[in-house]
Amino acid sequence: MIVADKKPIEEIIEEIKDYNKILILGCNECVTVCEAGGKKEVGILASALRMYFLNQGKEMKIDERTLERQCDNEYLEEIRDIADEYDAILSLACGVGVQFTAERYHSVPVYPGVNTCFLGATEERGLWTERCQACGQCILAYTGGICPVSRCAKRLLNGPCGGSSNGKCEINKELDCAWQLIIDRLKELDRLDDYEKIFPLKDWSTDRAGGPRKVVREDVKL
Amino acid sequence: MLLKSKFDTGKFAILTEMEPPKGTDVSEMVSNATRVKGMVDAFVVPEMSNAVMRMSALGGAMILQQKGMETVMQVCCRDRNRLALQADLLGASACGIRNIMAVTGEAPGFGDHHQAKAVYDIDLPELLQAIQSLQEGRDMAGVRLTGSPEFLVGSAINTGAKEEDMELELEKMNKNIEAGVRFFITPPLFDIAAIEPFLKRADKGKAMIIPTVLLLKSVGMARYIDRNMDHIYVPKPLITRIQKAGDKVRECLRVATEMISALKKEGFGGVFISTIGWENKLPELLEKI
Repeated sequence: MIVADKKPIEEIIEEIKDYNKILILGCNECVTVCEAGGKKEVGILASALRMYFLNQGKEMKIDERTLERQCDNEYLEEIRDIADEYDAILSLACGVGVQFTAERYHSVPVYPGVNTCFLGATEERGLWTERCQACGQCILAYTGGICPVSRCAKRLLNGPCGGSSNGKCEINKELDCAWQLIIDRLKELDRLDDYEKIFPLKDWSTDRAGGPRKVVREDVKL
Repeated sequence: MLLKSKFDTGKFAILTEMEPPKGTDVSEMVSNATRVKGMVDAFVVPEMSNAVMRMSALGGAMILQQKGMETVMQVCCRDRNRLALQADLLGASACGIRNIMAVTGEAPGFGDHHQAKAVYDIDLPELLQAIQSLQEGRDMAGVRLTGSPEFLVGSAINTGAKEEDMELELEKMNKNIEAGVRFFITPPLFDIAAIEPFLKRADKGKAMIIPTVLLLKSVGMARYIDRNMDHIYVPKPLITRIQKAGDKVRECLRVATEMISALKKEGFGGVFISTIGWENKLPELLEKI
């Protein structure tokens, strides 16, 4: 899923302080799972902002709404009739949701309420870690299911650098060396031969080097 | 005698680190290098070591080459993509640089521009392959070059690695030898016995292992390295020896000189001397070898 983190409330206040009527728009998908922008967080943020502006003596109307998804036109249409009533929309969706909402509603400024961080997994409640960089050319088949692009600090594809020590990464002693994990896993799978192979040069054009990307699927188009 | 000939003929080579300045004033670097010109075989010019921004290795090496000094230009994967790496290698070769040392490069988080975005478009094995390919007359896209470079290629090796880490390091060393590496520089060495397990297993016939002799500056520095640097062992008696010495700087110089002599006696192909800011003490250190 896409993992996001809450923006500091001071930054959000700075974004919206000049408006009088705000819609806080949550998303029921990834940001709900990582507890940054779901219905619950919309409610908490709305209450905090109401209290702040009340304290400041400013009359600010803050409404709450959470859509099934903000990255889908079908669900974004649900606010078609009310969007124009607001001075601004504060979206708690990921960067995709914020942009898609802004593209759909030209006349209303849309502000981000979270920082979108990475593609990751929930290790435990309150701990999300990165697993994928969406490089567009998955190599997990050769690395024992552990991704060196997202988990090695230097995105190295042919074994650890000189900074790997006792299974840990040079940038942080608490961080596992991705290549140590890969080697251990390949060993468990009796596939260390895969480690011997030098990867062909990585084609980063499927990553961001080729500019903004798109997936076109003629077979599913309507 | 060129560094390559020294290695080929098995003569003990003296390599010295010469860090380029943080700025455009090269006078101190040039004066430090000039003072030991006849005593050093080649000056290793790092590429922004510890990710601290300073003049590029290519710039620094060129300045020294122009003054008639042989250099080993470091080239690292951290800051340049495959276009820039190849371009600088061609430029370096055309300007007379004959030796390079290829490394991965420390992550920017260690340096003074810690918010920088690292590149790592290619990694060390790929960089070594690229260097081989350039030498064979083709770039990484397979396009033929007009004139190809010739380099003596070196890299780094962690001879202090133990157990599983050592196995990995030996494997890496063999892969790098296959990719054309002819010499490996080790982390600072204060006790030859500490790297003997590695030396026993390493294929020394195919590539030179060049230990680093780091000029210590104080007891504090020795203790810090021993406690905090993985894979570097500083023997306790050595720390006590510096501690008890009246003139600690002189004692540190003596320790370095003795280490260099010991390496020569043990039959190593050469030494890499690192003085980290004390390059002005090089003449005193080298005179005694």
